[in-house]
Amino acid sequence: MWRKEDQKTQAGPEISTSAGQAAGTAGGPRETPASAPVSSRAAACISQGIRINGEITGNEDLFVDGLVEGKVELGNGSLTIGPNGKVKADLSARDVIVRGRVDGKVTARDRVQLWSTGHLIGDISAERLAIEDGAVLRGRAEVAKHSEKHAEAFKPAPKPQEQKKVEPLPVPAGPSAD
Amino acid sequence: MSFFQKLRLVGVRNEPRGLPVGGRINPAGVVHAAANPARGPESRSQEATRVSNGLKEFLWNLEGLGRGTLLDLGAAWQTTLSFFIERGFRVTSDDLLRAWADFLAQEEARLKNARATGDALDMTSEARAERFMNANLRYSEGSFDAVLLWDVLDYLEPAAAKRVVASVTDCLRPGGVVFAMFHSRKPEAFQRYRVADSMHLQVLPAAVICPAQKIYQNREIQDLFIRYRTMKSFVGRDQLREVLFLK
Repeated sequence: MWRKEDQKTQAGPEISTSAGQAAGTAGGPRETPASAPVSSRAAACISQGIRINGEITGNEDLFVDGLVEGKVELGNGSLTIGPNGKVKADLSARDVIVRGRVDGKVTARDRVQLWSTGHLIGDISAERLAIEDGAVLRGRAEVAKHSEKHAEAFKPAPKPQEQKKVEPLPVPAGPSAD
Repeated sequence: MSFFQKLRLVGVRNEPRGLPVGGRINPAGVVHAAANPARGPESRSQEATRVSNGLKEFLWNLEGLGRGTLLDLGAAWQTTLSFFIERGFRVTSDDLLRAWADFLAQEEARLKNARATGDALDMTSEARAERFMNANLRYSEGSFDAVLLWDVLDYLEPAAAKRVVASVTDCLRPGGVVFAMFHSRKPEAFQRYRVADSMHLQVLPAAVICPAQKIYQNREIQDLFIRYRTMKSFVGRDQLREVLFLK
């Protein structure tokens, strides 16, 4: 019983880290200090109208709604290209969500999501791939998980013309052994 | 009407065809999709499924290929990509019709620019096809085992269609297979296709990207694909011929 309460109080600060909500949840039993640090987990944002030329590296989440040219490597972070985002770069992250335009190779350790407004020119390499209807993809899609797991599972429907050809089964001479 | 307007109907949308829901077969041989509870009623009424002997034969030709390479020249659909990726294929998706539409928009801008500056721009269909191919389908020779061409050729200018077939033939390995579709008469609506399963295609009405340019007769199709060893046609009741070409 006591342990449950302890866990709740410990979980408090983490939940209230998102901007704006921290102040709202301050009415609880425990007071949050006014100088509470903003979570490092809040996604960084390159908003509309901002242009970056060069290399972006890091390990946190990033939202791009502006223009980026060069290279983006986020390691374990998640990268979202917003609907106004235009990126001309090779992208590497844990998850990549494309809602805008991307021209470059996309590599995700986990998942690539291409939304209906997404326009991707370049190759995709990911563990999982989701494409919404209306999205544009011009490039190679390599999904490691599926391709290796099911490589030998390709058994198409029987050839249309040979469906009628039925080989007569050999009639057993006597009763079966089993 | 300028040639751009003839080639590209900007802003024209297909009206929903109002297909009835419930998996019945209409006289055209199209099996209408049964109700899918996961989707809204509007999308349910627009989707249709057709039996595809061409696809069946196409898959049969790919049997035993293992980790093959496939070039899909239609729209990028999750179902089509997953279908082949799950079977071990490395899929390259290249929406050629969208590329053609983008190219025409660029050509229009180029023409305006040329008029303004007084420069000469060769506007013959052959020159246009040349410029289109300079920026598209730049794949290395023999890099694919199979190509899904869908009904793309019907929507390209004949000169561009000829160049596309030549390019597809080059990037296909010997023994490779192409799955194409041709309309027997001018299509009433713009449709896109995706693989539903190994025997069925889903037919999806879509916004017009570019209008149909030419209806090919059998002889013309044979001439286009003259470098192929065999050609096999499957004529559907919905005025759509599925053709399989083996290189």
